[in-house]
Amino acid sequence: MDSGSTQSLTFYDFLDRMRNPTSLDLVRSIKSFIVSFSFYVANPENDGKRVQEFLLTMESAIRDHPLWAGASEEEIDCAVEGLEKYVMTKLFSRTFASSPEDTKIDRDISEKIHLLQNFLRPEHLDIPLVLQNEASWLLAEKELQKINAFKAPREKLLCILNCCRVINNLLLNTSMTENRVLAGADDFLPVLIYANPPQLHSNLKFIQLYRRQAKLVSEVAYYFTNLVSAKSFIADLDSKSLSIDEIEFQESMQAARLASKETQIEPPPSPALDEIAALAGQMDPVPSTRMHDNITGGSNYPFMEADAGELTVGDVERLLSLYKDVVTKYASLCRAVKHLSISKTESPVPVLKENKAELKMPEGRSKNVDHSRGE
Amino acid sequence: MGCSSSLPDRSSGRLSGLNADGAGATDAKNLRVKLVLLGDSGVGKSCIVLRFVRGQFDPTSKVTVGASFLSQTIALQDSTTVKFEIWDTAGQERYAALAPLYYRGAAVAVVVYDITSPESFTKAQYWVKELQKHGSPDIVMALVGNKADLHENREVPVQDGIDYAEKNGMFFIETSAKTADNINQLFEEIAKRLPRPTTS
Ligand SMILES: Nc1nc2c(ncn2[C@@H]2O[C@H](COP(=O)(O)OP(=O)(O)O)[C@@H](O)[C@H]2O)c(=O)[nH]1
Ligand SMILES: [Mg+2]
Repeated sequence: MDSGSTQSLTFYDFLDRMRNPTSLDLVRSIKSFIVSFSFYVANPENDGKRVQEFLLTMESAIRDHPLWAGASEEEIDCAVEGLEKYVMTKLFSRTFASSPEDTKIDRDISEKIHLLQNFLRPEHLDIPLVLQNEASWLLAEKELQKINAFKAPREKLLCILNCCRVINNLLLNTSMTENRVLAGADDFLPVLIYANPPQLHSNLKFIQLYRRQAKLVSEVAYYFTNLVSAKSFIADLDSKSLSIDEIEFQESMQAARLASKETQIEPPPSPALDEIAALAGQMDPVPSTRMHDNITGGSNYPFMEADAGELTVGDVERLLSLYKDVVTKYASLCRAVKHLSISKTESPVPVLKENKAELKMPEGRSKNVDHSRGE
Repeated sequence: MGCSSSLPDRSSGRLSGLNADGAGATDAKNLRVKLVLLGDSGVGKSCIVLRFVRGQFDPTSKVTVGASFLSQTIALQDSTTVKFEIWDTAGQERYAALAPLYYRGAAVAVVVYDITSPESFTKAQYWVKELQKHGSPDIVMALVGNKADLHENREVPVQDGIDYAEKNGMFFIETSAKTADNINQLFEEIAKRLPRPTTS
């Protein structure tokens, strides 16, 4: 995969080409494909098939198109990447976490993670001490949490790969500095299990269904499968999955349930936050760009309930990193709100930078037809 | 691309771009093959792959790629090439239920045991049954008895491996990742057994 920034350039290149009068036929196909979705009820599997077929059809249309005459494989590929991003950003609200079952699975998994976070320790997965590197794990988690700031399948996938890269680096560094044998998947999977973003299930399903099939292969497919596997491990997790006594597990879960009942202050995940965070950051998941984490319950801010007397020296590192995180988010939010109030006066379309990314409509049909399905 | 640059993979982006069918064949002469490794922790899966891909045994020496996904292309005598994309699986018991996610769609499964460990041989048989039940029907399976260099500690007779593999229509070989014995042969033999896309 290319770096995010080159891809964002190629996305604008794609939009540029679509503004060329000779591409009117392509624009028309794209528009009518997107509009056609408003005629049917959402059905993830079927929608996925239709998008995959459409991308394939368009790929050969682009290949034969005068605008791409003599184009290299890379250029064609970039055009289809741009197309995927455009189409899926447009169809996002219909295709992402759109079924009640998926929403329920997301909620169940989130709740379970929330409970587990109260007592799960690396020892329960027999993660060796040398791999228990708080800083690296936090970084991996950060990369993965960015997944909810993006709408394009490719960019969501990139967040997963960035997260895996952090874990791989940790494993490699450890193997070199500690002279430890590289244990491959034995080490990789448990660490990955520790990093999990909100709406993990829906994100994975979305990528599976809407990422171009030809791109979800090889190494990318391997790391993707690892995250699917981590999700499935958490979903099915019971005392037998862990190195923990059955009774102790039940008691810990019960205690966590009670604790979370007492502090239930769960604001509904606001889609507006996503938009703001995406505005504040860049369009592409470049590893260094800081994004928001979903601001759900207290689990992301474990010290909210703490008394000064309970803190240990060991907490300082975590506290400092949380502090920096909060400040960064606050700064992004301020910037975004400012940006939002400026752009609000320009355009009523609240979606990312799409007001800029709008394709030109042939024959003056109304703009944003796809938004007419009440969002 | 991906998390770690996986050698030797010069043209990965292009290749997968062309490879829209996803069926694993880039064309009739160049196969791309998903190979999944199964077997107990400690039987030597990682070492076998590192030996095959990097030509080395000591996994701590200057490894610059992730050890869980590796790929290696070999050239066969009929001037075709096979690119093995090797998927490592976590061997710990608690992850056993996740294995189907990894072997789904695999063209090859390599089931490894340690010739000094009867338990690992029993576990290998469990994987074979599992693959027969849930793997794709035309999957090529290999049974590998590793650590053949430790013959003085051998607890699984060669004949047991041979018999079991024969009964189950598998290819069988004993290897040593330590001495490199039979490592390349293992992958060459697998390559020969792959179903070829029919060409005219
Ligand atoms: N003597 C000997 N030791 C081996 C051989 N292959 C692996 N080992 C050792 O067995 C241990 C486990 O190997 P590893 O590849 O990590 O096993 P995995 O858990 O199946 O991936 C390591 O200490 C290796 O050095 C071999 O062929 N001969
Ligand atoms: Mg291993």
